[in-house]
Amino acid sequence: MLVWSRSGKLAVWTFAALLVGVVFLAPLAVILAASFAGQWNGVLPSSFTFEHYAQAGGGASGEAVTASLATGVVASLLALISGAWAALALRAQGGAAAQTLGVLFFVPSAVPSVSVGLGLLVAFSQRPLLLNGTMAIVFIAHFVLISAFSFGNVSAGLARVSPDYEEVASSLGARPFYRLRRVTLPLVAPYLFAAFGLSFALSMGELGATVMVYPPGWVTLPVAIFGLTDRGDIFSGAALTMILVAVTLALLLALERVSAVGAQARSG
Amino acid sequence: MTLAAFVDEAAIASGAAELRGAASTVAFDRVSVAYRGAVVLKPLTLEVAAGEILAMIGPSGSGKTTALRAVAGFVRPASGRIRIGGVDVTDQPPYARGLAMVVQNYALFPHMRVFDNVAFGLHARGAPKSLIEERVAEALKVVGMTQYVRRYPRELSGGQQQRIAIARAHAVRPKVLLLDEPLSALDAQIRRSMVEEIARLHAELPGLTILYVTHDQSEALTLADRIAILKDGALSAVGRTGDLYRRPPNRFSAEFLGRANLVPVVVESDADASGLVAVRAGGERLIVSGADERAGASRLLCVRPQNLTLAPDDGHTNRLAGTLREIHWQGELTHLVAEVGGALMRVVATKLPTTPTRGERLDMFFSPDDASLIAEEADV
Amino acid sequence: MSDAAASPRGTRVDLGALWVAPPLIALAVLFLYPLTLIAHAAVYDANDALNFAAAWATLGSRAFLNALINTAEIALAATAGSLALGLTLALIIAFVPFPGATFVARLIDTFIALPTFLATLAFTFLYGSAGVLNGALTQAFHLGDPPVHFLYSAWGVILAEMTVYSPFVLRPLLAAFSLVDRGQIEVASLLGARSWRIVRQVILPAALPAAIAGGSLCLLLTVNEFGIVLFIGAKGVITLPLLIYDKAIQESDYQAACVIAMINVALSLGLFGLYRAAARRLGA
Repeated sequence: MLVWSRSGKLAVWTFAALLVGVVFLAPLAVILAASFAGQWNGVLPSSFTFEHYAQAGGGASGEAVTASLATGVVASLLALISGAWAALALRAQGGAAAQTLGVLFFVPSAVPSVSVGLGLLVAFSQRPLLLNGTMAIVFIAHFVLISAFSFGNVSAGLARVSPDYEEVASSLGARPFYRLRRVTLPLVAPYLFAAFGLSFALSMGELGATVMVYPPGWVTLPVAIFGLTDRGDIFSGAALTMILVAVTLALLLALERVSAVGAQARSG
Repeated sequence: MTLAAFVDEAAIASGAAELRGAASTVAFDRVSVAYRGAVVLKPLTLEVAAGEILAMIGPSGSGKTTALRAVAGFVRPASGRIRIGGVDVTDQPPYARGLAMVVQNYALFPHMRVFDNVAFGLHARGAPKSLIEERVAEALKVVGMTQYVRRYPRELSGGQQQRIAIARAHAVRPKVLLLDEPLSALDAQIRRSMVEEIARLHAELPGLTILYVTHDQSEALTLADRIAILKDGALSAVGRTGDLYRRPPNRFSAEFLGRANLVPVVVESDADASGLVAVRAGGERLIVSGADERAGASRLLCVRPQNLTLAPDDGHTNRLAGTLREIHWQGELTHLVAEVGGALMRVVATKLPTTPTRGERLDMFFSPDDASLIAEEADV
Repeated sequence: MSDAAASPRGTRVDLGALWVAPPLIALAVLFLYPLTLIAHAAVYDANDALNFAAAWATLGSRAFLNALINTAEIALAATAGSLALGLTLALIIAFVPFPGATFVARLIDTFIALPTFLATLAFTFLYGSAGVLNGALTQAFHLGDPPVHFLYSAWGVILAEMTVYSPFVLRPLLAAFSLVDRGQIEVASLLGARSWRIVRQVILPAALPAAIAGGSLCLLLTVNEFGIVLFIGAKGVITLPLLIYDKAIQESDYQAACVIAMINVALSLGLFGLYRAAARRLGA
């Protein structure tokens, strides 16, 4: 509605298409192509192969997939519980204290991930809790970074739930836990799903803290990809990256399906 | 859809018997509420009798919703106590007070079917399955929504949703039913029929005490046994609906509850034995009811637009002379505005034998019974 | 949703407050405690004595100052670029709608779910010395050497960050634009205003709060960015997070790493405060 002439609109759309194409689509396309590329010397790859994916299936790369998935699911689940718990508790409290605490829960997402990793490295390489070199420390790093994010998401979702529902539920005789279980949580469920999905995506792509604390036996996908590209094996790196992207998007899509089915039954 | 067609005498009779035992009064004992340092409700003392509908009306910010929420337990009074059925509930949480609330936006739980919505309170209080089924069926019958039992709220219209909300509240047999502007979100047409349904519901359930908050005075006039008018956080007037309407105690209630013509007058003589008193308005001498009036007092004469006629009908012995300024025909009613000694008076007539013209002299007649005197306040 | 408004009277202890304890304890143990240890390690040396000398040495070192300047320059440039890119695309998607506009918006949204280093890896294939662009140019113009080198400089980082962080600017802008009253635009058009004037006087003021909030978020994220810088691996392009990694993991100089981390955290917290203030005050 800003541009009225047909030629003007076409010009703008072409410009937009170029912009989106160059900035966003080209990178995706090129990684996809690289993951299948045998030889790539000129503008386009000269041969195609599945070799990189085959290599990714087994051995160290396969382990990286498992490690990332496990870390992602566990850390996201724990972060969701922790973040939602904090969001619900603070909302019930209200007042100035709740506002200050709210900011505190956000802080881990504001701080560079490398320093979170460094902190964990320093803190748990000494008494009283020795976690250095275990996979637990990786889980903890992801948990800390993600729970701030879940907290923010769930808080925003809770803010959109009208207090009417909970008040009417109370007036009808529902005690706080019953009300939480049967009214609040179902109403905020879509936001919980969304928070879990994006938390998982965050975990899958996390590098800064992981690279500071990971033990040799627990290498996540981003660390493995860095290892590959650092020593020049960029095609295998591309293949592994595509696997990472595929897994992440697959889970996000699945979550959206589940959430949509639930929403259909209850949208009001 | 008439309620009568769906009323099951037996069901209601047994419900009513149970209710009479649980019928409860509500008492505000100097209840005040503050929010962030500002007083939203000044100390309020008010009693609601068992089984009556009390409407709390007033403009926005009058504190009526705050008072309701204090009874519900969502707002903690800064001072004073709240008693339900004689029991001090001020320190009790909302879910323990044995009430139920219906709100403007229905607040039906979107993720539950109608059955589960109506059953919610019973389920929350741990009622056995058989009782739940019985009560839900009866509640839906009472509001005439039996065939919608398996639907989801999103499939229902506004009026239907509000009926389910009422059924949900009725199912738990509350001591007191709290209604917070329940009809404000509905279309005018639906609102009219819902008002009548609520009135019928209350007639069928004589034991149910209802506290009804609204800013719409016509809802209050239709439904309420008594009305409490609030303004700026304080009680301006309270009384039986008819009394409050016919003999408003102050200017604010005269103008808020229905429309009023207020004419400054001076009392000429003391009230006589029959409670009538003579007053002077400009050049006219009028006889109005005013039992305790003394000569020399200045008052506001209050007469409602629909009580003024253009011909001296039976008993309309008082006359005010004015000049017609405006006339608007609106189908059911004709609105006239006349100027009397510099002030404007409104007349509402259903039938006019002749149509007067602007600028014409207009005589308005009314009966002494249809007028009352209000003590002029500085600013209330 | 509180069951009772704050009451001026009554000192009854509200046990409900204790529900915050578990996540709070987790936060304290897993985040605050490590953070205090970093602060401690920054100024206490191996003999547990207060020793500012090492800290000052680190802060005065060339490596640190370069990293600080790099971080600031890259972050500001990337934020400016993301704002420009995000604003342009948001304007087009919102006000010159085309079929599939929502799909494009969602596509750009999914970029938020992808790891940041993906952009750098892709750039290697696109703009690296053996990449698509260089290959095309050398072939087309028969050049001896690959002409495009920006990937191995700060520009590579900046452009990669623009790709990754412009969605964070795009989203709030699209949301703000959806709230702009279309009636205002139509009236302005009828009154004779041309597109640029409408953009300047009607749309941009509406977008300003969202742009400021999105921009300050972008600034925070680019200051903290690690993956992109790591993958670029260029000698001259070291930012604070990368320096922390180098010091800690490559050189095992934990004290220096902690000192730099404290500065980085302080900078981030300051930007975070800025972001919160912007988002709150301008109601984005």
